[in-house]
Amino acid sequence: MDAPQILWFGWFRADIIQEYAPLFWEGLRMTVGVTVVCIVQGTLLGLLLGLARLADARQPATRLALRVLLRWPATIYVSFFRGTPLFVQILLMHFAVVPLFVNPTDGWLLAGDTARELRQNYGAVITGIVALTLNAGAYISEIFRAGIQSIDRGQSEAARSLGLSYAQTMRHVVLPQAFRRMLPPLGNNAIALLKDSSLVSAVGLAELAYAARTVAGAYSRYWEPYLTISLMYWMLTLALAWGVRRLEARYGRGDSR
Amino acid sequence: MTTPTRVIVFGLAAILAIAAGVVPAFAQRTYVVGSSATYPPFAYENAQKQIVGFDVDVINAVAQKAGIKVRLVNTPFVGIFASLNNGDIDLVVSGVTINERRKQSYDFSAPYFEARQLVAVPASSTAKKVADLAGKKVAVVTGSTGDDVASRAFGKTSSNIRRFDTTPLIIAELVNGGVDAAIGDNGVIAFRVQEHKGLKTFDDPSLPKDYFGMAVKQGNTALRDLVNKGLAAIVADGTYAKIYRTWFKSEPPVLPKP
Repeated sequence: MDAPQILWFGWFRADIIQEYAPLFWEGLRMTVGVTVVCIVQGTLLGLLLGLARLADARQPATRLALRVLLRWPATIYVSFFRGTPLFVQILLMHFAVVPLFVNPTDGWLLAGDTARELRQNYGAVITGIVALTLNAGAYISEIFRAGIQSIDRGQSEAARSLGLSYAQTMRHVVLPQAFRRMLPPLGNNAIALLKDSSLVSAVGLAELAYAARTVAGAYSRYWEPYLTISLMYWMLTLALAWGVRRLEARYGRGDSR
Repeated sequence: MTTPTRVIVFGLAAILAIAAGVVPAFAQRTYVVGSSATYPPFAYENAQKQIVGFDVDVINAVAQKAGIKVRLVNTPFVGIFASLNNGDIDLVVSGVTINERRKQSYDFSAPYFEARQLVAVPASSTAKKVADLAGKKVAVVTGSTGDDVASRAFGKTSSNIRRFDTTPLIIAELVNGGVDAAIGDNGVIAFRVQEHKGLKTFDDPSLPKDYFGMAVKQGNTALRDLVNKGLAAIVADGTYAKIYRTWFKSEPPVLPKP
């Protein structure tokens, strides 16, 4: 190549990374953006799914209805998304499910030029966010379920006997206590989500791993791009872990005596 | 000689003896050929899980003429050169375009296929050359010659270039409307476009003509020379032409000498 070679330790050609720097910066932004959106959406979805999996009632008719309409679908959902590889889910979403709904020729939801515009400009982002959110929601629902179940029955029984509704009991009594216990596993999940976002590069989402693959493909060199993004991911997960620790300290205050 | 020294000398002698016994075995060893079998008609897996295709027929014929044994291993293209560097495979025969950049890192055989870049677009498209695709979204295979062409034309960090792992995926993305065009190697693009109604191809004469070569690790001239010998032999006796007609239904071009 004509570009001057800036050698580092004799083997690390930093000039290659320099050449593709915009791709790495854009990739960093995309990775962070997708991760943040998916953590928020996945947590909300996980909460709903977790509650659905715990739905119960005393009257037999209501109980059956809750089982059929909430519990079973939620259980099947969680089982599917935890029981299949995320990579497969991403490919399925991008090349099969999303084209069914959004397709220039015969999309069920959107067709024609709007579909083309949407798919061309945001296709991979949509796939990434949808697939990662659905997947994270399944894992997070288990965290919510375990968290809620870990709170002594007496807590909700006491709240209900004081006249609080189910929603009020959850909102003011159970979830605040459960949330504190759920923070460490939720933090783990957020870190896993950040790293899993690299899989969406397979459908052309220009995030960090995509930048590295592009450089590796262009130069057939592997140390430079993959070490670079490894360090970037590492910095991001360190920052995320630090944030979770801060939250734990903040919400753990109620427990200290 | 003290006893420990004698033990070391004896040990070294033993190692040498063993090594001497092993070397002839290496000379007749089976060469491992890496090929990414997602690339019809060059290399793909048939229903019986065998890797078949133009590349496979060529390397088998070459090996027969060169008097070597080869074993094909399905290796994903994205890591195929890393496998070559690691020594997991000895030879890459996977529709690899010979270019200056790759020649810096690997040694190539003589060309065995003349490759041009072909652009697939929807039948309604009015684009006639690559330059007409400026501002449009273009799908390419990561690190391929199509990637090179798009990177040169639209800027290597352009967000209009969408990179995927395989040619079927760039065609799928085009069919689903995610991009306006897909650029890839002539053999594969033509083969894939036949499968989808509503697509057509164009050939931009300004694009350079390329050749596919078989890559060995830099410095492995012994294997490269064997391959070149076999290749020259199958071209001379018409085996190459026969294989070419089988897969591409047309007459083979004249290949340049190494």
